[in-house]
Amino acid sequence: MANVIIDGKQLEVALGSNLFEACTLARGELLPHFCYHPVLSIAGVCRMCQVEIEGMPKLQIACNTPVKDGMVVRTRSEKVKTAVQQILEFHLLHHPVDCPVCDQAGECALQEFYMDHGLYHADVDVEDKLRKAKVKPIGRLVMLDAERCVLCARCTRFLSEITGTWELGIFNRGDHSEIDVTPGMTLDNNYSLNTVDICPVGALTSRDFRFRKRVWWLKVTDSVCAGCATGCNMTIHHDQGVAYRFKPRTNPDVNRWWMCDHGRLLYTQIAGPDRLRTPWVRSASGGEPAAAGFDQAYRRIAAWLEQAGPGRKPVLVASPHAMLEEQYALQALLGEQAGGRVLGYRLAGAEQQLADGLLLSADRTPNAAGARRLGMAELSAADLQTHAAADTLLVILDNDLAGLSPEAAQALTGFGLVVYLGTRLDATARLADVTLPGLVYAEKDGLFVNAGGRVQALHAALPAPGEAKPQLALLRDLGELLGHLPAWSTVDDVRSALVARVAAFGALAGGVPPAGLALDAPPEDAAAGAKGGSKRG
Amino acid sequence: MSEQGTTEAAGPGKGQAAGRATASIAGPAGADAAGQTARQTAGQPYAFTAENEAKFQRIIQRYPDKFTALMPTLWLCHDQWGWMRPGLPEWVAGRLDVPLVRVYELLTFYTMFYLENPGRYNLQVCRNVSCHLMGARRIIDHLRARLGVEPGQTDREGLFRLEEAECLGACGYGPMMLVGKDYYENLTIERVDRLIEQWRRGG
Amino acid sequence: MADSARCPKILTANFGVTDSHTLAVYRSRGGFTALARALSSMKPQQVLEEVKASGLRGRGGAGFPAGVKWGFVPQGTGKPVYFLVNADESEPGTFKDRHIMDFDPHLMIEGTILSCYAVNCHDAFVYIRGEYGWLVDRVQVAADEAYAAALLGPNILGSGFGLELIVHKGAGAYICGEETGLINSLEGKKGQPRIKPPFPAVVGFLNCPTVVNNVETVAAVPWIINHGAPAYRAIGTEKSTGTKLMSLSGPVCRPGNYEIPLGLPLRELIFGPEYGRGLLPGIELKAVIPGGSSVPVLTAQEAMEVNLDYESLAAKGSMLGSGGCIVIGDDANMVDVLRVILQFYHHESCGQCTPCREGTGWLDALLERMLDGQGRPDDLQLIERICAGMIGTTICVLSDAAVMPARSFIAKFRSEFEALLPKGDELEDYVPLAVQAELPRSWAEPASAD
Repeated sequence: MANVIIDGKQLEVALGSNLFEACTLARGELLPHFCYHPVLSIAGVCRMCQVEIEGMPKLQIACNTPVKDGMVVRTRSEKVKTAVQQILEFHLLHHPVDCPVCDQAGECALQEFYMDHGLYHADVDVEDKLRKAKVKPIGRLVMLDAERCVLCARCTRFLSEITGTWELGIFNRGDHSEIDVTPGMTLDNNYSLNTVDICPVGALTSRDFRFRKRVWWLKVTDSVCAGCATGCNMTIHHDQGVAYRFKPRTNPDVNRWWMCDHGRLLYTQIAGPDRLRTPWVRSASGGEPAAAGFDQAYRRIAAWLEQAGPGRKPVLVASPHAMLEEQYALQALLGEQAGGRVLGYRLAGAEQQLADGLLLSADRTPNAAGARRLGMAELSAADLQTHAAADTLLVILDNDLAGLSPEAAQALTGFGLVVYLGTRLDATARLADVTLPGLVYAEKDGLFVNAGGRVQALHAALPAPGEAKPQLALLRDLGELLGHLPAWSTVDDVRSALVARVAAFGALAGGVPPAGLALDAPPEDAAAGAKGGSKRG
Repeated sequence: MSEQGTTEAAGPGKGQAAGRATASIAGPAGADAAGQTARQTAGQPYAFTAENEAKFQRIIQRYPDKFTALMPTLWLCHDQWGWMRPGLPEWVAGRLDVPLVRVYELLTFYTMFYLENPGRYNLQVCRNVSCHLMGARRIIDHLRARLGVEPGQTDREGLFRLEEAECLGACGYGPMMLVGKDYYENLTIERVDRLIEQWRRGG
Repeated sequence: MADSARCPKILTANFGVTDSHTLAVYRSRGGFTALARALSSMKPQQVLEEVKASGLRGRGGAGFPAGVKWGFVPQGTGKPVYFLVNADESEPGTFKDRHIMDFDPHLMIEGTILSCYAVNCHDAFVYIRGEYGWLVDRVQVAADEAYAAALLGPNILGSGFGLELIVHKGAGAYICGEETGLINSLEGKKGQPRIKPPFPAVVGFLNCPTVVNNVETVAAVPWIINHGAPAYRAIGTEKSTGTKLMSLSGPVCRPGNYEIPLGLPLRELIFGPEYGRGLLPGIELKAVIPGGSSVPVLTAQEAMEVNLDYESLAAKGSMLGSGGCIVIGDDANMVDVLRVILQFYHHESCGQCTPCREGTGWLDALLERMLDGQGRPDDLQLIERICAGMIGTTICVLSDAAVMPARSFIAKFRSEFEALLPKGDELEDYVPLAVQAELPRSWAEPASAD
C-alpha cells in the first residue's frame, strides 16, 4: 500500500495503482479528462488530467502515473488550473462550437469542463477552421461529426481492444488527424452504440436518439436489460412516461461498461400497437377474443370455475421473462396453496440463439436462472398435451407458448380454460380464453437472476399502459378466484416470503445492492454463465 | 513469423506467369478460403511479380510479426505499382491478415505513401530552413510557374508532380530536390530548367 | 583539447577514400578489428563498461550517456532484447548520419554489432528514413556483404555470438526519429511516440527490452573499443567527451560535415580554414542555430562566445542537439525564418497530444498572418501564451521543439517581429488582450487545497 496526500487529503491506495483513480477518490469527482477510460488502454493524449506532483518539475498526467508511497499531489493549484485552461483553449481552436445544434449538448465533456475551467474570453481567433467530415452516417446507428472530435481515441481503442472489429481509425496526422470509418467498411457491429457512450463530445451520436429529446429533460432509472441471460446493468432514460433510450450502467462483474445494440434497442418495443391495455376475453360460446373490462374477464373465469366444480385441475406454466417474485408467487399461491401443478418455466430449447462471446448470451431470456433456482424445469409441448383436458384450467404467466411452438399452440386448444397473463396481443393471447394485461420489466419493480447466478434489481421507470396491472396483482386476483387469498400484497411482501421460505435465496435477506448479489452458482448456472460470457468485455 | 504466404509462388524464370491472381492471393495459413475470396473480390485482384513475391516471402520470414511486415510490404507495392491503386490496400490487408484500418492509417500518416498517382516525376523540393536560406522559395516558385501546378498537384499529363518537402537531409547543399531515389542538390533555376527539359524528352 | 589538428578522425577516417563503402576497403583500413577483439577477448559487460567509461553521449539530440542507457536493459528476463539503430535523420539542419551511411556503412554495422554484444541482443534493425532511399540500398548491400563474411548471422567470426540485422525503410515522418515513435513505426503503426513509463529499455519494441541509438553514436563504438575509454575521454571536455560530427549549413563558404573535438569554439566551425571558412561574400553573421532547428537560436555575438559542447551551449541557453549548425546571415528576415521552422513542426506533429496538434498549427497560422501584414498588436503575447501551454505538456518533445525556436527568435530578434505588427492605436476596433471581462469562474478552491 502507498500513503499519498492529494489536495491535502491523506489516503491509502494500492502501490502502483493509477493516480487518476486515487485523485477521484480524494476529490470525490473525476479529474478533467477526455481520453482516460478505466478499461481501455492508456492513451495519455488529451492532457487534461495534468496534476502537480511534489518533486517533479513538470505537471504529470495522472492517468499514466503509478502511485508511489509518499506522493504529494495537487489537483486544484493555480498551475494545474492554468494548464487545463490552456488545453481547453487548444481543444476549441478548430472546434465548430456548434452547441445549439449539437445533440451532445447537456452531456458533453467539453461543455462541462469548459464550464468548470474555461477561459471565457476568446483568444481563439483562427479565421479558417479546419473542415472535416460532418453529419456522416458511419453505420446503421452511429453518426459522425469529425469537426467536434477531440481525438481522444476512445472509440478506436474500443473497437480494437474490446470488439476486435477495427472499423474506425484516425487517419492523416497533426491537426489534420481525423476519425473516420475505414474505406469500404461500416460501423455495424452489435456494440456500435458503445462508441457513442464513450465519445466525450458530439463527434459520435446515436442516429436512433439524436434530436428526439434534449437530455436534461430525461429522468434516469436503474434497471437491468431483459434481452438475454447476461443481465447487463442499464439505466432507462425516460420522460413523461416514454422511454427514449437505454444506456449501460457500469458493473465490473457483469457487463463492465458496455451493452449490446440488441439490448439497447429493446426500448422501442415497450410501447407499440400490440401492447395489451385491457383484458381480452373469448365468450363461453366461442369466437374470437375481444377487448373487455376486468369485470368481464373475472366473471368469465369465475363462471368456468363454477361450472367445472371441485374436480377442476389447475396447471401452471411459468416464464423465464417473469420476475423472480412473480415466478415464486405463481408457484406458492396458485401452486402450493391452490393445488396447481407447475409444468415448467419454458418450452425446452425455446429462445436460444448463438452467443457472441462478448455480452450477448445464447439464452435470450433474462430470468431462466431464477426459475431454475425455484426448482422449475423446462417443459415440452407433449407435457402440455398430456394435461390438456376439458376439466383443466391452464394459467400461463408471461410466456408466449403458442408463438414459440405450433405444437404447444395445438395443445392449448384442449384445455377447459386458458388464462394468459400476457403483455402483448401475441399468438397465445389470440388462443387464450382470458388474457389479463400485465407489465413489462420497465414498468415494475422486481428481481432477475442472470446466467451467472447474480440477483439484480429492476425499478419501475414507466407507468402502466391502460388498465394493465402488475402480474403480482393479477396472480393475487386469480388466487382469490380460486379461493385462496394470499398473505402478501406488495412486491416486498413476496420478496420477504421468498427469502424466508426458499433456501437458495436466503442470501437476499439483507437486500439487493445496486450492483446485484451473486448467489452460489449451481453447476448448470456456472456453465451457462461461462457461455454467456458475463464476465468478459 | 507464423504467416506463410502462397506456396505457389512462381520460381525464377516464370516471369509474368506468376501474375495470375489465383496463385498469390492464397493468404496466411489457416485463414479460410471464403474470407479471402471475399477480400479479393472486394478490390481488384493484384499479384506481385515473381521477384517481388520472393521479396515478400523474405519479408514475412524475417520480420517478427505480420504487423512489422506491413511497412516493407507497402514499399514493395509502391515499387511495383508506383502508388496504392484502388483495391491494393485491401489486397495487402488480406495477404498479411491485418485489419484494413491499420493499412489506411499508415498510408495516410506517412508522406511517402500515395493513395493517388504521384506522377512519373515527383519533384519534392525542400522548403526547410537551410534550403530556405539558400533560395528554395525561388526554385519552388519557378517550378509552379513552369509546370503550372501548385504544390501537392500533378500536371495534366501525369508527368510531373510538385511537392514542398520538409528537411531531406541535404542542408549543406541547398536548394535541393528529391526525385525518385535521386537527390538533386545545389539547384539553380537554370539547372532545374535543364532537368525538366531532359525529363520531358523522356529521360 | 579543442585543437582540431590533434583530433583523431573517429567517425570520418574513411570519408573520401575510394570505395570506402565496401567491406574490402573498410577491412583494409582496420575495419572489424574492434569487433574481432571484443568477441575474442571481452565479455559483453566489459564492452558496456568501456563505453560507459568513455563518456560517449547519444548523438541523436538528447545527449544521454550511451553506456548508462545500455545499463538500463534488464538481463535474463526471458524476452529477446532488441537494438534499433536510429537512422531516421530528419532534424532540420542535420545531414551527418547520411554521410556515415554513405561513406562508411560498415563502420555503423561494426558499431551496431559491438553495441548489441554489450546488451546481449541478437536482433537489430537499422531504421533509415524513407527519403534516403539510395542509402537504404547502400546499407543493405553492406549488410549482405557482412552476412557473406560471417560478420552478421548466427555465428559471428566463429565466436558463437549471433546477430540478425534488418535494414528497414521509413516512409516519411519526422516523428519517427523520436525513439518510441520509431518503435511504433517499426511495429507497423503510425509513428506516434509512446507514453512513458514504461521506458523502452524495459518495455520497447514488441514489448521487449529495447535500445535505440543514433547512427553516429554506434559509429563511435569501434574506436572506443580499439583505443580504450581513456583515449576517447582525452578528446573533448570533461562532460562532453570525444568528437562530434557537425553539419554546417546556411550561407557559408564551405558547408558540409565536419568532425570536431567537442569543445571547439563555434566561431572556429563557421570561420576556421579547415571548416566553414566564413560566410559568403557580402553577408554578415546574424544568428546561428547550433544543434538543429529545435534548439534555441544564438545571436551572432553569443555564437562568437560559445564552444560546441553540451555544457557551454546549455550555459548560453541553447543545446548541441543533433549537431545541425545552421548559419543565418543578415540577408534573412527572422520572422520569415521562424515561419519556415514552425511550418515544419506543424507539418510533422503526429497529432496525438492536444497542445502539440493544435499549438503547432496555431503558431504557424499566426506567423503566416504576421508575414501577410495581417498581424495584431498582441500577437507576440498570444504566441507566448500558446508556447506556455505547449512546453512540457506532451508525450514527446516535438511540442517543446517548436516552442524553443519560437521563444528564442522572438526574445532575441523582437524588433523584427514588432516591425510587422500594428500598434494598438492604429486599429479602430482594437481591444487589448489584457482588458477582458473578468467572468465569474466556478473553479472551486476548497480550504484544504493549497
